[in-house]
Amino acid sequence: MTATAANTGERRRYWFSIAALAVVLPAAILVHTGDTIRERLRDMRNPIAVESGTLQRYAGADWRLTGLARLPGSLPDTTVVLAEFEATVDDPKQLAENRCQVALTDDWGRRWEPAFLPGSAVRKAKPAAADKPHCGLFEELSPGDTVMMAESFVVPEDAESLALSVSLSGALPAYLLFR
Amino acid sequence: MIGAIKGLAGVLLAAAMLYGMQRTTPLYSDIISPVPVAGRQGERVDTSAFAIGVADVHLAREVMASSFGRTRTYTTSGVWVIIEAAAAAKQESLSLTSAKWLGPNGVRHALSQRFSAMSGMLGSERLEPGIPRPMLMAFEVPESQLSGATLLIARSALTPLAEEAWIEMTDVRAQDIRPAVTLGRGNRSQPWTLEAE
Repeated sequence: MTATAANTGERRRYWFSIAALAVVLPAAILVHTGDTIRERLRDMRNPIAVESGTLQRYAGADWRLTGLARLPGSLPDTTVVLAEFEATVDDPKQLAENRCQVALTDDWGRRWEPAFLPGSAVRKAKPAAADKPHCGLFEELSPGDTVMMAESFVVPEDAESLALSVSLSGALPAYLLFR
Repeated sequence: MIGAIKGLAGVLLAAAMLYGMQRTTPLYSDIISPVPVAGRQGERVDTSAFAIGVADVHLAREVMASSFGRTRTYTTSGVWVIIEAAAAAKQESLSLTSAKWLGPNGVRHALSQRFSAMSGMLGSERLEPGIPRPMLMAFEVPESQLSGATLLIARSALTPLAEEAWIEMTDVRAQDIRPAVTLGRGNRSQPWTLEAE
């Protein structure tokens, strides 16, 4: 075997190894981050835009936004947004198996979670709404029942183009977006 | 002969390299530890999830904290570090629950839980996007760990690879230790009052 032949063989192996790295490295990264990627894909959701007041079928019920009111906030430069919505049950079994997530979003992609307790502004201005339950209590319902719910959010006073997103775990990736 | 020496040298070199790699292998906890976002006292520090700024640092031998109409005195064998800061969430509502005082000797001191019921303490309130809120922190640290320390703040102590604000405490000196600091209940927009003696 001449030196040139050995060189050629070595060079071929070298380039083969370099080319293999280009395949093996991304494959290794994919294998290790597979769970994260799957989670991201699950997060890429599919909104169903609903105009205020109109009915929308979702997860075994007909949903409707009945009010999105701005009330004075207890902190300077803040507003309390009170969202009232209802679901008329069609398939109680399908609805009962769900976990409900509610959030208020704006055009900048900011996302506010609901307050655990309605603030004093809600109790003063809309006492009936303060007594309504949070989203998620769908036990022991029969077809035709209407569940009335309310959630309140503390947002900056200048937050605009607010939309209420309601998602039920069993109906994902679709979720409701009330404008 | 030369070939044998070369071979032996190669084996020894490989053994040394393997030993070195074995000794310097990072722990799993180091590999997944939070990603630091550097900042300085008095400046705003922006992580992707939240922004925080340290406004004032008070050092004291004793803290008097009043709650429910009763004032209690909290002594310490070290020094109380009371930090007044402001924080805001950026994109999503979140809570900050982890704060540590990293002393110059590398020891991390956890947030004091002795008057954790004080309103405005870190973790007592959820932060909302676009609404900055005052935040109070208290640490008990040895006097030698005051200057040259770093304040570490994160959403939680356990989230792997999340961002953590590393705020260099540039203006903390042992000669500024006061005999006592009094903390009282404030109002909704400023949850505490602080008086230094």
